[in-house]
Amino acid sequence: MQIINHPVLEDTVNDEITFHLDGKSFKAYKGQTVAAALMANDIKKFGHSRKLQKSRGLYCANGRCCNCFMTIDGLDHVLACMTLVEDNMRISLNNSDPDIRSDRDGN
Amino acid sequence: METDVLIIGGGPAGLNAAFEPASNGMNVTIIDESFSFGGQLRSQTQYFDHLPRPFNRERGTNLSRKLIDRLLPFDVDFLPQHTFVGKYKDGTIGVSHKNEVIPINAKKVIIATGAAEEAIMFPGWTLPGVMTIGAAQILMNRDRVMPGKDAIIVGSNEFAFDVVQQLKDVGANVHGIVESDSQMRLQNSQKIEAFKNLGIPLYVNASITEAQGKGKVEKVFLGRNGEKINLDVDLICIAGGLMSILEPFEIMDCKLVYNQALGGWIPEYDKHFETSNQSTYVAGNAAGITSIGGILTTGELTGVSVMASLGVLKSEEAAERKRDLWHQLYQIEGIQRPDTYHARLAAIKDFNTSKDRTLTK
Repeated sequence: MQIINHPVLEDTVNDEITFHLDGKSFKAYKGQTVAAALMANDIKKFGHSRKLQKSRGLYCANGRCCNCFMTIDGLDHVLACMTLVEDNMRISLNNSDPDIRSDRDGN
Repeated sequence: METDVLIIGGGPAGLNAAFEPASNGMNVTIIDESFSFGGQLRSQTQYFDHLPRPFNRERGTNLSRKLIDRLLPFDVDFLPQHTFVGKYKDGTIGVSHKNEVIPINAKKVIIATGAAEEAIMFPGWTLPGVMTIGAAQILMNRDRVMPGKDAIIVGSNEFAFDVVQQLKDVGANVHGIVESDSQMRLQNSQKIEAFKNLGIPLYVNASITEAQGKGKVEKVFLGRNGEKINLDVDLICIAGGLMSILEPFEIMDCKLVYNQALGGWIPEYDKHFETSNQSTYVAGNAAGITSIGGILTTGELTGVSVMASLGVLKSEEAAERKRDLWHQLYQIEGIQRPDTYHARLAAIKDFNTSKDRTLTK
């Protein structure tokens, strides 16, 4: 859920943007991270772990724990907590190993 | 790219380290891996006391703005989304930005990378909805998003209580604070009083035995002296305290030392905040976990030391400035956090002794 009237901070007028998670569209505000934009839409699961198949989400919000890797605009393993959301951004859950040997990566 | 002083980390320590060199005409470059500057202060709406001059009691968010604004008139390059990734053989610093690596030649490097939050682990701690107390604060006050509706907090340090108040203010329910010790760690009597007025249960001698839920936290189980308590929550915040971030010191070949009172492993440094690598200085929480007053003062001390070692300040003037700043550190950290201050002095003494030993060998 977005905090529209913050109890302490001044109101800001940031542009609303639309992003897409695995084909579904959601709204967020410019200036928010991808992780925050997802949490604002009550999406907490950002992917699942390969070995133990456990759900993964935002943990440290500071780019250190690497729990929030997602595929963002075609790039695999991007930290959702350190990336600002943009209009029309395409995001996918991190549910499998990236194919580093694919043609797309020039290998 | 060439610069007089490269500062790694644009939080309160790095920003304050920049002020003296920048206002004395040096070129300063500040890099940060985040998209904006201010570090954790950007999200800290709580008030901070015991700040060094020229600052007065202030919300962290405002202080962050002031630290940045007072650098704007000077020759300071702010490079956001720039990450320190390595050092070339000749000492050039490698910084990554998007898909390129930029070499930076600096006369001196100040590492002010701050601290990371320690985890407290329990079965289910990796579920979405379990996050550090700092992460919950970032969501609320930087991104303006509710981290959850029904929260429980593990750990009872001062930071935890600040964020509990902020969670309440944005309309979240806080169902309890869980502390494994027999009493809360918070010592500030004013804040203890404020907490009592919130009517939130404090579970001492207690711990989380498990967090459960389908794809996200839905339930938490607490254990207290054999008694079992379950609560429906969607947010578990972990307040496990802080530890210095060390990778940059490893890259710069700085010697590390373990110091419990300063938060664990830290780089060794002398009274000028110079590490065992003479081109590299340290400031802020990276030099041992302290208060915001300690962070700002060590930052300024480091800035003055760098100017002195490059001959920008005359040695007598530098010595006087440093004496002043050490006195200020005593007045702020020495009184507010005496254990930290004395541990810092002892660590500096130990480092000097080991340096002397190396020289006589």
